[in-house]
Amino acid sequence: MLDIVFAKPALPKSGALVLPIVEGAALAGLAGALDAEMNGGLTRALEAASFKGKKGQSVTLWAPAGGITKLVVLGLGSAADAEKLGGSMIPAISGETTCTVATDGLSAGQAASLAMGAALRFYRFDRYRTMEKAEDKPKLTKLTVASVDAAAAKAAFAPMKAVAEGVFIARDLVSEPANVLNPVEFAERCRELEKLGLGIEILGPKDMKKLGFGALLGVAQGSINEPRMVVMRWNGSGKKKADKPVCFIGKGVTFDTGGISIKPAGGMEDMKWDMAGAGTVTGLMAALAGRKAKVDAVGIIGLVENMPGDNAQRPGDVVTSASGQTIEVINTDAEGRLVLADVIHYAIEKFDPRFMVDLATLTGAIIIALGHEHSGLFTNDDELAARITAAGLATGEAAWRMPLGEAYDKQIKSDIADMKNVGGRPGGSITAAQFIQRFVQGRPWAHLDIAGVAWSSKDSATIPKGATAYGVRLLDRMVADHYEG
Amino acid sequence: MLKLRREPSKGALRLRPILEGSPPHPSGFRGRPGEVLDLAYDERWVGADGASTAPEWERVGAACIAAAGEAPRVALDARGLPAQFAVALGFGAVLRAWRFDRLKSQRPRQPRRLELLVDEPDLLEAAWARAEASLAGVLYARELVAEPANRLTPREFAKRLRRLRAEGIEVEVLGRSALKRLGAGGLLAVGAGSVVPPRIVILRWKGRFPAPPVAFIGKGICFDTGGISIKPAEGMETMRADMAGAAACAGAMLAMARRKSPCPAVAILAIAENATSASSYRPGDVLRMMSGRTVEVVDTDAEGRLVLADALHLGATRFRPQAMLDLATLTGSVVTALGHHRAGLFGNDAALSAAVAAAGEAVGERLWPLPIGGQHREDLKSDIADLRQCMPAGTRFTPDASHAAAFLREFVGGVPWVHLDIAGVETAEEDDSLAAKGSPTGFGVRLLDALVERHFEDPHRV
Repeated sequence: MLDIVFAKPALPKSGALVLPIVEGAALAGLAGALDAEMNGGLTRALEAASFKGKKGQSVTLWAPAGGITKLVVLGLGSAADAEKLGGSMIPAISGETTCTVATDGLSAGQAASLAMGAALRFYRFDRYRTMEKAEDKPKLTKLTVASVDAAAAKAAFAPMKAVAEGVFIARDLVSEPANVLNPVEFAERCRELEKLGLGIEILGPKDMKKLGFGALLGVAQGSINEPRMVVMRWNGSGKKKADKPVCFIGKGVTFDTGGISIKPAGGMEDMKWDMAGAGTVTGLMAALAGRKAKVDAVGIIGLVENMPGDNAQRPGDVVTSASGQTIEVINTDAEGRLVLADVIHYAIEKFDPRFMVDLATLTGAIIIALGHEHSGLFTNDDELAARITAAGLATGEAAWRMPLGEAYDKQIKSDIADMKNVGGRPGGSITAAQFIQRFVQGRPWAHLDIAGVAWSSKDSATIPKGATAYGVRLLDRMVADHYEG
Repeated sequence: MLKLRREPSKGALRLRPILEGSPPHPSGFRGRPGEVLDLAYDERWVGADGASTAPEWERVGAACIAAAGEAPRVALDARGLPAQFAVALGFGAVLRAWRFDRLKSQRPRQPRRLELLVDEPDLLEAAWARAEASLAGVLYARELVAEPANRLTPREFAKRLRRLRAEGIEVEVLGRSALKRLGAGGLLAVGAGSVVPPRIVILRWKGRFPAPPVAFIGKGICFDTGGISIKPAEGMETMRADMAGAAACAGAMLAMARRKSPCPAVAILAIAENATSASSYRPGDVLRMMSGRTVEVVDTDAEGRLVLADALHLGATRFRPQAMLDLATLTGSVVTALGHHRAGLFGNDAALSAAVAAAGEAVGERLWPLPIGGQHREDLKSDIADLRQCMPAGTRFTPDASHAAAFLREFVGGVPWVHLDIAGVETAEEDDSLAAKGSPTGFGVRLLDALVERHFEDPHRV
């Protein structure tokens, strides 16, 4: 993670300098100081470049004064989104070794948000690039955020930093290829989070057999890689008798070939991120522990690989889930819901949670419905719906509520079992959610279908192309706003 | 349609809805929905357990008709029911009893006679008259949708709409030359492949309020082959229903006229056939729309948004309406998103969207809001024109319903606007609904009529 420090405003002796300017504002603070040192040169340069401070405008000067190597003046428009600003300045400065950014006009909290944005954008997954030339790598090692209230900014940044670490854990997991990150390896990486104070329990196929996980094991049986279920516990409430925990459940299909109902070859490589729900839950639990959230929380992830092996389950198979309900497997590529069914049942029986939120890259249909800007939110609880929607807006991880209803539930009736695992193309994401709902025993529950938002094909201000870790910040925010203390 | 009576007429089959709490019958009949008990040669019981809203009682009425088989006279027993449920029972029965059999050479000579048995027929008269106005609109729309495309060409469609003049509705038909003068490049391009040229039909209901009208905009593609981007053969026969949006708008106008709505309304129906021929428009063509915007055609099967764009522009500029609502069987994507139980709701005005959703809920034509996001608009950027009509065909997992809505939004000016993507709900997919499986539902007529009644007929808001 980028080394970020907070300091009182002073022109740096070396390195880069970033000056964000509100539209129409006079040069003040560090900008004023620099302009004075340049004998009005900055004012002249900005005039020559017709710089008005409009959003998206920027002016770059090399070696403007003193030891400063590069000056980037950024237009903020009328109102600054500090986090986006922090993220969007990264490409301009990642070639410098050190950089100072001015935050004149921003509060201490906004200065911290700016640092958060910078940290999130600076992430990169490059462990498999062995031939990259040094000049192509980012050189930035230290970012100084200049704030008049540096101490308060630093304090505000501490919990954000923990959340950013959680985001990076999730992004790393999602980015890893499936030959490296199989269920066993995923579980081992979760084990490393014990150092944050998380209680980690790992269950293998024998345990799951005892628990009657027929649905999850049916998916797993086509792969030589054994399935795992990981239970991550964080008891942060400090109470002797822990609260009913909040519970997060993740789909972790480390690779999804589709099984016997095999997927088309085009784009199949994307299926390494079919464990993004589990990745997010893991990152979220790390974030909660990292910032010592005052909440009792449990994260449970079901890890399998869906392969068309010689023992793979077939379309037409009937499996018995941990809840006792039987499922006719019509399409082996609708495997995520099978995994979730058993994990959710386990969560209820073992933890009696206050509510459950599951995350899953569950359906292509949700992308056809909503695209890539919103996840699909399905829930039986209006309060959860409101809280998730609000936290999503606040963190830039938007969720769009989708309907549930009996009419949709009818689509998964089976002639031979209690239900079948697909309900046809119409309302494909809804019938998937209806399937999951059959295992929640009427408890408060929300399901986020993140198939369209787990991976990004282009850079955005705070998320470089690739794994987004969608959900870590949203759910961390929801916990912080409603379930702590 | 249906007669209100105290007692069944001679020879009528009486259908009695049975609620929970009624004494169980020795046969095991408990009154559950779906249950039917053949009690006597002239009486059948129909399960109505749990029916507690008007839409639910409509379904019971429909179930009664389904249980009546081919009986020529059917009396639904609503005695003892509250007035609004009695009306709903009759409403559902009429909807379910409708069938399109004019093209069958062997059909019953007499149409089936329906009776609704109530305690005081006189007291129900007014409420039933109101219901009949809606029913007339729904059945009118269904007739149009059911007609095959060799019969209901754009010319014939316009001809039938002209007959609405008898209802006090003004009808104006814009033919090819008028469309050329207006520069309706979208509609003209889509209709170019057909031997029957496209039209815009404008229906006007004056109402009594001195206010700008409410505008209904309908997609009226009499048949959609997909054009040069031709559709697969499987299921193509259902594309005769691709004018269901226009039919629903016309039906709503009829319902408003029948009940003498005080609210002024206008319907603008974009009617064309999307055919494959030597003169069809092509993927890659750039069209200049009526609004002056240029549009790159990517997929000729995304034709609905092109004809709607011109109709929306005409509606916004010529009538300056207080609200515009367009209805269209627009995308397969909305079926993937919402299935057959809800239509997609898009718009640029939260209050209007909420009113539309509430009206739909009240009449059992349910909607669900879907987003128009920044990325959806971004995806419509074109290298050659002001915008492109959709993402390239074959792009996987495309949110095409939202793309279409983002496209339409570019043509509504600043007018408060709602777009209903009714693909998936224009035809009944199940037999337990208000229409027989596979037949048109008339979705949208009641919703528009109810919306006007609930939202636009308060003189104080004028």
